[in-house]
Formats: sequence, C-alpha cells, structure tokens
Amino acid sequence: MAQTHVVATGVEARVASGIPTGKMGVWWFLASEIVLFGGLIGSFVMSRVGSGGWSEMAAHLSVPLGTFNTFVLLTSSLTMVLAFAAAEKGDQKGMRTWLLLTVLLGLAFLIIKGFEWGSEIGAGFTPMAGSFWSFYYTMTGLHALHVLGGVVVNSILFLSALMGLLRGREHRVELAGLYWHFVDIVWIFLFPLLYLSWTKGGI
Amino acid sequence: MSARVEVEERVSFFRTYVFSIDHKMIAKQYLAIGLFWAVVGGLLAYLLRWQLAYPDTEAPGWGFIGPEFYNMLVTMHGTIMVFFVAMPILLGAFGNFLIPLMVGARDMAFPRLNMLSVWTLALSSLVLLISFFVPGGAASAGWTGYPPLSAKPIYTGVNWGLNLWILALALEFASFLMSGINFLTTPINLRAPGMSMFRLPLLVWMQMTAAILFMLSVGPLIAGAIMLLLDRVAGASFYLPQGGGDPLLWQHLFWFFGHPEVYVIFLPGLGIVLEIFPVFSRKPIFGYRPIIYSTIAAGILSFTVWAHHQFISGMDPRLAMPFSVTTILISVPFALMVFAMIATLWGGSISFPTPMLFALGTLAVFLIGGLTGIFNGSAPVDIYIHSTYFVVAHFHYTLFSALFFAGFAGLYFWFPKMFGRMMNEALGKLHFWLTFLLFNAVFIPMFLLGAGGMMRRIANPMQYEFLRPLQPLNTFATIATILLLLAQLPFVVNFFWSLFAGKVAERNPWQANTLEWSAPSPPPHGNFDTVPVVYRGPYEYSHPSVSEEWLPQDRPTMPTATA
Amino acid sequence: MARELVHPNYVAVWVWLVALLIASVGVTTLPISTGIVLLLIFAMAVVKAILVALNYMHLKSEQLLICAMAIVPLVIFFILWIVLYPDIALH
Repeated sequence: MAQTHVVATGVEARVASGIPTGKMGVWWFLASEIVLFGGLIGSFVMSRVGSGGWSEMAAHLSVPLGTFNTFVLLTSSLTMVLAFAAAEKGDQKGMRTWLLLTVLLGLAFLIIKGFEWGSEIGAGFTPMAGSFWSFYYTMTGLHALHVLGGVVVNSILFLSALMGLLRGREHRVELAGLYWHFVDIVWIFLFPLLYLSWTKGGI
Repeated sequence: MSARVEVEERVSFFRTYVFSIDHKMIAKQYLAIGLFWAVVGGLLAYLLRWQLAYPDTEAPGWGFIGPEFYNMLVTMHGTIMVFFVAMPILLGAFGNFLIPLMVGARDMAFPRLNMLSVWTLALSSLVLLISFFVPGGAASAGWTGYPPLSAKPIYTGVNWGLNLWILALALEFASFLMSGINFLTTPINLRAPGMSMFRLPLLVWMQMTAAILFMLSVGPLIAGAIMLLLDRVAGASFYLPQGGGDPLLWQHLFWFFGHPEVYVIFLPGLGIVLEIFPVFSRKPIFGYRPIIYSTIAAGILSFTVWAHHQFISGMDPRLAMPFSVTTILISVPFALMVFAMIATLWGGSISFPTPMLFALGTLAVFLIGGLTGIFNGSAPVDIYIHSTYFVVAHFHYTLFSALFFAGFAGLYFWFPKMFGRMMNEALGKLHFWLTFLLFNAVFIPMFLLGAGGMMRRIANPMQYEFLRPLQPLNTFATIATILLLLAQLPFVVNFFWSLFAGKVAERNPWQANTLEWSAPSPPPHGNFDTVPVVYRGPYEYSHPSVSEEWLPQDRPTMPTATA
Repeated sequence: MARELVHPNYVAVWVWLVALLIASVGVTTLPISTGIVLLLIFAMAVVKAILVALNYMHLKSEQLLICAMAIVPLVIFFILWIVLYPDIALH
C-alpha cells in the first residue's frame, strides 16, 4: 500500500491508498449498484426458469429496436470515454464535443425506449399483463432511470465545461464515465435477457 | 489549512446548525433523529406490551388498542428501532463523529454528500411520521413486510401507510448508502501520516465492515421493495401466487439484506465496547489483529446465513442444512471476539465509571443473545421455537445490547468530546443498574413464554387455552417494560442537565490513547490544531517505557523496544 | 498517487462491441438448439461486459482494491442466485 501523504491547503488532499478519493467513492457506489441489478436480474432469471411460458410474451418485444438501442448505448460509451481521453490531454473543445454527443445519445436511447414502451402498452402489454411484463417494466424502467441520471450528470458536466467551470476538475469526466459505462454494462445483459432469449420456444 | 478553519468558523447560524457540512454537527443531527425515534419506539413498545398483558383494555394515557392497531404497533416498533434508531445512532452518530477524528482527518471525504445523507434521512423520517396519520394508519404487515399480506392493500386494510413505509425505507437506504461511501473512503484515504490500516482503532474497522455489509446487501432489497410497491400500486404480481408470483422471493430478498443488517447494527456496537474496555482496564486490547480478522470473517459469513430466518417458510428443505452450518459457523468469529474482550479485562486494573458499566452490560447481555442464537440457528430446534417469543427474546438480547447498552456506553464515553462537558456519574450509574435489571426482567420471561409456545404477532394471548397459564409472565414483562421506560428518565435528565451545566471536560478526561482525545473538547470545525502524526497503535496502555498508564497515538516519544 | 491509466484503442474496442452485438442477434436466427443459442448470446454478453469494464472503465490498469470492488459484489449476488435457484426456479 502506497504511503504517500499529500497535505495540501484547502480541503483534505491526502490519498493514503493511492486511489483518488472521488474515484473510490464512485466505485463504492457502483459496488452497491452491481448487487442491486444482480439481485433484480437473479430474481427475473429464477422466476422465468420457474414459471415457463414467458417466451411467448418476450416474443412481442421488438428485436430491431432493441438492437438499435443497444448500438446507441454502446456508441455513447465510446463517446464518453473519448471525452475522458480528450479531458486528460487538456483538449477542452474535444471534451465538450464528446460530452455533448454522449448526452444526445443517452437522450436518443431514452426516446427510443419510451417509444417502445408506448407501443407495448398500446398493444395491451401493461405491467399487469403478466409476470414477464412486470419484470420487463421494472428492469428497463430502473435502467432507464439510471440512464436519465447519467444524462443529467453529463449535461451538468457539459454545461460547466461550456462555462469554463470544469477547468482543473477534468477528473469529474472520468468519474461520470465510470457510472455511464456501468449503466451500459447493465444494458448489455438486459438486452439478451429480455429481447433475445425467447427463440424457438425457449423458457 | 489553518486559513480554511478560520473561514469555516465564521459561517452563519444556519450553516452551522442546520445545513452543516461538519461531520460532528451531522453526527449530532443523526443523534437527535435517533433519540427522537427512540422515544416513539419506546412508546409503541409500552402500548403493545399493554395489549399483551391486558388484552383489549384501555391503555392508560392512550385508550383502546385492539388487534388491528396492535399489528401496526409491532410493525412500526420493529421498523423504527432497527432503521430509525439503531442505524442513525450507531452508524450515523458514532460513525460520523468518530471516524474522521479517529483516523486523524479534518472531515469526511465527501462532506456535502454527508450533509445530503442526513437530510435524506430527515426526509425519510418525515415520510414515516406522515404514514402514521394517513387514512388507514401506518404499515401493519410486520417489520419484515412479508407478502402476500403486504402485497395487496385489502389484506391489511392499510393502503398509503404501507406505501409510505416502503418509500421511507427506500429513502433511509439511500441515506445510508451515501454514508457508507464516506465511511469507507475516509478511513482508506484520509488517514493521518503514520496511521496505517493496522493502527486504526477497532471501532473504525467495525464501522467499515458494517458499511461494506450494508452497501453490498441492500441492493436486492431495494429492487425487491420496488417490486413490492408495484404489486401494491400497479397491479403487478411479483409476490402474489395467483398472478404467477412467489412470496418466497421477497423473503429471500429481504433476509439477504436483513441478516447482514443485524451485523451492520451489531458490529459498531461491538466496536464501542472494544474501545472502552482497554481504556478502563488500562491494558492493551487482547488480540488486535485476530479481532480484525474475525470481523472480516464474520462479514463474509454474514452473506451466507440469511435463510435461517426461513426454515419453516416452505423453502427447499435441502437449504436448511447448509444454512444451519453457516449460522453455527458465524458464531466462531464472534466467540473469538468475546474471548478477546474477556482476555482484555483479565488482570487489568479495572475501574467502573458509567461507560465501562454499560460496556460490561453489553458483553453480558450479548452473551445470552449469542448463545440463544445457536438454538435458533439449528433447523431442528428452530422448527419448534420459530416465530415464538423465544426468538423475540433472542433478538432483543442481541440488538438491545448493541443499540442501547453499547449506544449508552458510547454516549457516556464520548459525551465530553461531543459536547465539551462531563455527564453526571451518580445519575449514570443509577441509569445503568435500573436499565440492566429491568431489561432482564422484561426479556427473561419471554424466553419462558416462547418455550411455552407463545407465538409472535398475536394480539391477544388469552384467546389460546394453552397460553392462559402463562399470562402472569406477560403481565410481569409488561410491568417491567413500563419501569424500564421510566428508568430512562435519569438519562434524559442527565443528558440535558450535563449539556448545559455539566463539569467542563478537558481534552482527555478518560486518559485514552486514540486520536479524538488529542483534539479539543468539543473539536472545532477542522478537528485538530495541526494534523496529528501517528507513531503507534491505539491501545498502548501501561506501556513500560512511560510513567503514565496511557500513551496517545500521536505522542512522539519513542518507546524503547525492551522493557 | 494514481497510477497512469493505460489507454487502449477505444475505437477498436467499440468495433468489437458492435460486432459482438450483431453476432448475438445473428445467432438467434441460426438453426441450432435453444440451449446453444442461450449459451452463445450470454457468453457474448459477458465478453462485451468485460471489454467495457477492462478498457472503458480502465480496470486493466487499476489497483487491486478497485478490481476487488468490482468483483466481490459479483460473488455476493451470485450467492443469492445459487439459493434462489432451488427455491424459485424449481419451486
């Protein structure tokens, strides 16, 4: 364990573990989020294996829209990490551009998801229409709330970068990025779990 | 750095007492919230005990209780005591106050997050308070909220009360998730120069373990609570068998969190006791590292024991054996810690001021709680005593010891540091002896009632032929409960009297070693005059190289290697 | 202090992610048994998640403590899964 003690003026700047304090805070938060989604996904998988007949309901989801949305979110992860790379190089303009793109892609994901929900509810598949749908709305809804949170955080970062307030605090882009990539990873699992596992009369 | 301290000291009243980012003020806010709810929880205990001793009669000072209201009383008593008294006091107050001081930091790693967490808890408290006054009353599906009872409003007759209960718990969880981030990041990153992980006071280790347990177990229950809320308000059927759901799922999600939660409460209580024992026996702690390793082992094991709450729930019987084994296994690290405590006392020159009495009381009471836990943990025995008053007595012996005995020990011990004045010893000792005797008078009868077969969550034991001969025990426990509640009056008087008129405390009134005693009493915003440098572990009492019996962690004299 | 983070080729990682996405959708149209399809799509999801975690979240070059904070929660919820399996899936 590195025993470096940087005693700076102002707020404590000691970093006894060598891991920046902000990054460690974000990772502890993500650790609890991993268990949250892990528990929810586990409940879904086990209930689905235990019940049967959910595939017919899952078959009503739109695979093309889901695939496209996955593509959007994967791409937003790329733009986020490019914003971080630009921030690290001190490229303020690049950082702003990539942040803005990330925000727009996040919004696009939410709009497409909202459109999907709308058409599903229009077809009568409400949360009350069966256990699959209850789980579907809970899982995608909770995930969408996380996306919304990420969009808000990234928008704040973008706006403060625009006003020049982010200078010297560029590491915040990395912290927001960690959260954003985590939300992306959750979707990486939700997509096959909800959209793809229905094939050929599976469980 | 000193410039910052001066600036912060001139902040407005509002920023000092209300929206403060000072961890010590936040700790006092947690303490205030916890003590407020302790009064409410105590009054609920009085009413529910009245109903059990004198079923369906008018409770003095309240009125008629009856079965529906009784269900609300037990539900809210459990919820309040676990989530709104134990966690705010043991983690919120002591964790926030002591972690930065003990590691030698000027504040928590994220002071604004800390403020947000206490205000989230305040909001959560407000929601819970409102739930008492909505039509239908507060939640009444048990503090565990088992579906299907909790999953449809018509089953309990409580609609918004239970929805608000879920909301209040969700906010409470969010609050302690934020605290947890601070509790972990601060000791890992903001330790003073020379303060290695193995020079940290044990309380800090316990708080860190508790924070990890909480953060890594609460997620599934948050998901589960969302699902329960959707069952109630959106007509989903996650837990309702008629809609294809499974009530057992909730039990797993609840206890997957619920059992680690027991240690979330218990470990900080244990940490308080471990801080107090060496100070008043003037001896180093026995087995510092083994205690840390036991804590970690108990933390890991605590994720593998939860289904012992469900032995008779209809879960897969093949799960009973493995969960019995892990449950009995987890008593090993705790037994080791208890032996380390006894060995710390052994041969010490022990003095008995009030904090030490309460710490010893914690140990005595927890021993009974821990030993009766072995009965509950073995599936065959549990099938007989499950959901009886034996279980009620057992978990009060564990949780009451951690929350009240250890909590009072900590309050009497750190009161001088928190408020700059000493508490009254005579009133403190009176408070201890009354509490200790009356606590046992309340709960020993419950072991007997449980062994006699009295079930939990029944509003009227007189309805059952076989319980009628046991009714004197119920009456005895109720009278003892009322006296136990009255026995807290010396504490209330002592607390407020000492706050304003107690003897002014010096920096280190107990002659203790840990860093918080190097700061002024009470410490200013920023805590230390200069950031301390740490030279040794926290429990170097009666060191042969110095003439005093104590040797603070930041005193630069180098002890000679040989005695 | 913080170790220097290794910068992988972020765009190349993205190309892999998209390729795996297309492959996992494609697999579901192939005439093979459901079990193998499920195995393949979840294996690809795991690979995608690892790619993001290692490269975009920089776990490749992070300290042991951070990696533990990512892995321990996985172990913990996996314990929950193991117990839910006999109780909920086989119920």
